[in-house]
Amino acid sequence: MKKIISMLLVLVMMVGMCAMFAGCNQEEEKGSVYYLNFKPEADEAWQKLAAEYTELTGVEVKVVTAASGTYSDKLNSEMAKGDDAPTLFQCGNAQGLLDWGDYCLDLSNTDVYKEMTTDDFNLRDDSGAVKAIGYCYEAFGIIVNKALLKQAGYEITDITDFASLKQIAEDIHARAGELGFDAFASSGLDGSSSWRFSGHLANMPLYYEFRDDEVTKQPATIKGTYLDNYRNIWDLYINNSAADKTSLSTATGDESQAEFGTGKAVFWQQGTWEYANLVGEKYNMKAEDLQMIPIYCGVEGEAKAALCCGTENCWAVNAKASKADQDATLEFLKWVVTSESGTKMMAEQFGPIPFKAAKEPENVFFADANKLIADGNYTVTWAFNHTPNVDAWRAGVVSALTAYSADQTDDNWAAVETAFVDGWAAQYKVQEGG
Amino acid sequence: MSKKQKGGQNLNSYQIRRPLKRMFPLFILPTFLCFIIGFIWPFLQGIYLSFTDFMVPSDAELTVIPAIEAAQKDPSLITEAGGSFSYYMDAMFQNYRKAFEDPSFSRAFWNTAGFAVVSIVAINVIAFAIAYALTQKMRGSNLFRTVFFMPNLIGGVVLGYIWSMIFDAILKQYATYLTANSTYGFWGLVILVAWQQIGYIMIIYIAGLQSVSEDMLEAARIDGANGWQTLFRVTIPNVMPSITICTFLTLTNSFKMFDQNMALTGGDPTITLAGGAQIKSTELLALNIYSTYKIGRRWHGTAQAKAVIFFLLVAVLAIAQLTATRKKEVQQ
Amino acid sequence: MKSQYSLGSKILTCFFAVLCIIWMIPIFEVLINSFKSNAYVNMDAFALPNSESFVGFGNYVKGLTFGNYPLVNSVIYSVVITVLSVGLILLFCSMSAWYIARVDNWFAKLFYYLCLFSMIVPFQMVMFSLSSTAHELGLNTPWTIPIVYLGFGAGLAVFMFVGFVKGLPLEIEEAAAIDGCGPLRTFFLVVMPMLKPTLISVGILQTMWVWNDYLLPMLVLDINDYRTIPIHVDYLKGSYGTVDLGATMAVIMLSITPVIILYLFCQKHIIKGVAAGAVKG
Repeated sequence: MKKIISMLLVLVMMVGMCAMFAGCNQEEEKGSVYYLNFKPEADEAWQKLAAEYTELTGVEVKVVTAASGTYSDKLNSEMAKGDDAPTLFQCGNAQGLLDWGDYCLDLSNTDVYKEMTTDDFNLRDDSGAVKAIGYCYEAFGIIVNKALLKQAGYEITDITDFASLKQIAEDIHARAGELGFDAFASSGLDGSSSWRFSGHLANMPLYYEFRDDEVTKQPATIKGTYLDNYRNIWDLYINNSAADKTSLSTATGDESQAEFGTGKAVFWQQGTWEYANLVGEKYNMKAEDLQMIPIYCGVEGEAKAALCCGTENCWAVNAKASKADQDATLEFLKWVVTSESGTKMMAEQFGPIPFKAAKEPENVFFADANKLIADGNYTVTWAFNHTPNVDAWRAGVVSALTAYSADQTDDNWAAVETAFVDGWAAQYKVQEGG
Repeated sequence: MSKKQKGGQNLNSYQIRRPLKRMFPLFILPTFLCFIIGFIWPFLQGIYLSFTDFMVPSDAELTVIPAIEAAQKDPSLITEAGGSFSYYMDAMFQNYRKAFEDPSFSRAFWNTAGFAVVSIVAINVIAFAIAYALTQKMRGSNLFRTVFFMPNLIGGVVLGYIWSMIFDAILKQYATYLTANSTYGFWGLVILVAWQQIGYIMIIYIAGLQSVSEDMLEAARIDGANGWQTLFRVTIPNVMPSITICTFLTLTNSFKMFDQNMALTGGDPTITLAGGAQIKSTELLALNIYSTYKIGRRWHGTAQAKAVIFFLLVAVLAIAQLTATRKKEVQQ
Repeated sequence: MKSQYSLGSKILTCFFAVLCIIWMIPIFEVLINSFKSNAYVNMDAFALPNSESFVGFGNYVKGLTFGNYPLVNSVIYSVVITVLSVGLILLFCSMSAWYIARVDNWFAKLFYYLCLFSMIVPFQMVMFSLSSTAHELGLNTPWTIPIVYLGFGAGLAVFMFVGFVKGLPLEIEEAAAIDGCGPLRTFFLVVMPMLKPTLISVGILQTMWVWNDYLLPMLVLDINDYRTIPIHVDYLKGSYGTVDLGATMAVIMLSITPVIILYLFCQKHIIKGVAAGAVKG
């Protein structure tokens, strides 16, 4: 009797399991989207858009946002989930491609790729497959408060190269007491601000070196040809600012933002993403007072430079997800870059996007970027995307830069050069696996 | 009842044992299953992973496999490496070789060793002194004990943030800051950990000191020993077990230190060595393993190999300590 | 003679009173800075709040929602995880320990030695593999992570319980068995009450561990949804490393105050428990 009962039980369980699997399969055929987003500030907009898409099509779209600074950890842990792993994620640079290349579907023959207007921001692997597509771009340079500049007796057109920038900045700094504002906002080297210099400013020497040497792939070593220019501009920043040079190590990004936002400084090295903060209710700056100019550092011919444009915002579709999920994801992306609400949201959150149906953004910095390019200037691309083992390399540069700022000697600058050049080679080795 | 001593014990405990044995699934199985999930399986998989290349554990591949494939394509690799044995061994232990060649790992080892020595001495000496004073007849000793123990309740991450604020505020008066150089970071961590653990260690010493019999101390006093003689000749030898326990605890604590290290300096400042290697100068071993993992997938296996080395190190220290304790106990 | 002795003791008391005040400075620092605005914390953390720098409970209000994550949730998750984990550990490990001590067959011995062994294994050894195992088994929520804690924390608890159970007189359990009590009733009605001091000891040690643990929940939990207090504090560092020190101090104050109050109420038990636990461990 017992045996029969237990056999029956087993049978029932098996039938149940089969039913469950069948159920799973049915659900999977439909496919769903799981987007692991890495921009916390865009989370709300994505959630809204996802809900709208689900309502429209019935396809489930789950958006999870990694807390700032935790994206790579989050991606690691989420990818480990197998079937429940993200179907859409960001893979923004050489390092990302190295780590996640196997997980990136080749997007070359997809509808969303065909909607793109430029290939500049996409990531390709050695075989030429499109591993990730840049869905927006950003630009950085020196943001100028034109109203203050006028007060000091200058026009924005007076600044055409490093020499004129230096002359104006030094003059403003000398008269800071009388004017009530200084030339540059503080160049803090606290973790919240140091990336502006170890990342963005370091792009200048890297870009020019790579341009000269025609480097297009991540190089194993660099020469530091333009490090004197890096020193020029850094000296200009810290010598012509109200901030105390010895306390830069603890000066934060918020502090520099406040200095610029409240009219205590004329110049501030930052990017397009700060536009909303400046004109928003926090500082209420006027859009017509703001302009972004290229970073000049004394390189020959730089009067023809445009802003530094590039992106780390690249979408990748999980190659290890089920076919149904991949299709659902690609369908969703296509909708995002073509539909009315999708393009509207993208323009609001990310500015100009390189897709045919893109909407015009109101951010004046993008207008500056586009105008400079339209006038025939050369775009300074994001050479720093090639940085090997980027966090460690930047930390090394920041340490050396901090020591140098407190005491601007040649010896201390030599340490910056070592961190920059030798550090690159060492980190390249680390990145390649030692 | 007189015969019970020998045979009876067995017989009666059998009355407990047999029904209990049948309750195996209830009494021990849940713990054992969790123990497998939480310890045994991760431990074994950890050893395996240290010989592999992996992004996530499910896609791990032994480092020797690509080497075999490479050798099949190009047999000269083997001769270059000096024979198949050394070739395959090198491929097999690739993660371990990388771990030992990594300058940040050796830096972290010496940091940890130095930190362990300094903090063991500082914590034990101060905690013992406080415990000794508090066990004397003194007003308010209960209150003091409460106060000294309190920092123990605060977690390592929170402690790190509290102290980094304090150190930065102090150093600011000298126009510098905590992560300006590795010396500050090192001593900062020592102070933090001393503040946290002295209370804990003190409690153990107090318990030890209270168990030293009054009679013995009285006898020493009658024999004309002064305070110091009593302390060194009578009290300290009698609290030797506590001293062993406390040294052991502080030793393992300083070797396993992670939260405080991460929250206080996070390993900063990064220094650039001659040759360009950039390493975090105040990293201890546990944090180094974690940050190695975070470099990227090519370092996951190495991080795990470092963890195995770390485990062996801790195990050797623990066993050495236990053997020493055993010997002392026998002597007594 | 007598008055001299008490003079020395008075000096000692004074000395320790001063030392204790110094000992409390860090906590005091947190308290005063939690009432100052961020800029003033940066400027001079040792200054008392004045009319300019004082922001009242502003930092506390801010701290409650800091980092886009309500502090209340962290507190709830921390409490849930700690209570469940420690509860599980106390219940199952004491049961296992009794089984190990009384049955004492090869399996019990094996388990016991494995527990001993696990005590010397640092968490770094198992963490990469443990976090993925936990994800696969769905042990990544505050309600299931206690299973992981039971697994990783079993070593010390079982070891301490076994040490104590071995010291218990068999006669009482035998008497219960003869009176017809099954193992379950014997355990809960007879053994458990005798284990009380060890339960308190183990409970306190494990609570201090789980409550303050950072790395395990950090690796295992889904950090967007579930943050424990230590993780919450770590996440106060904003995007690109910005820190609002004033609000951070307020959050730290909020998170340690209940613990300190609890400690002041049952400090005798806690101190005794720690002393007993350490001597055994």
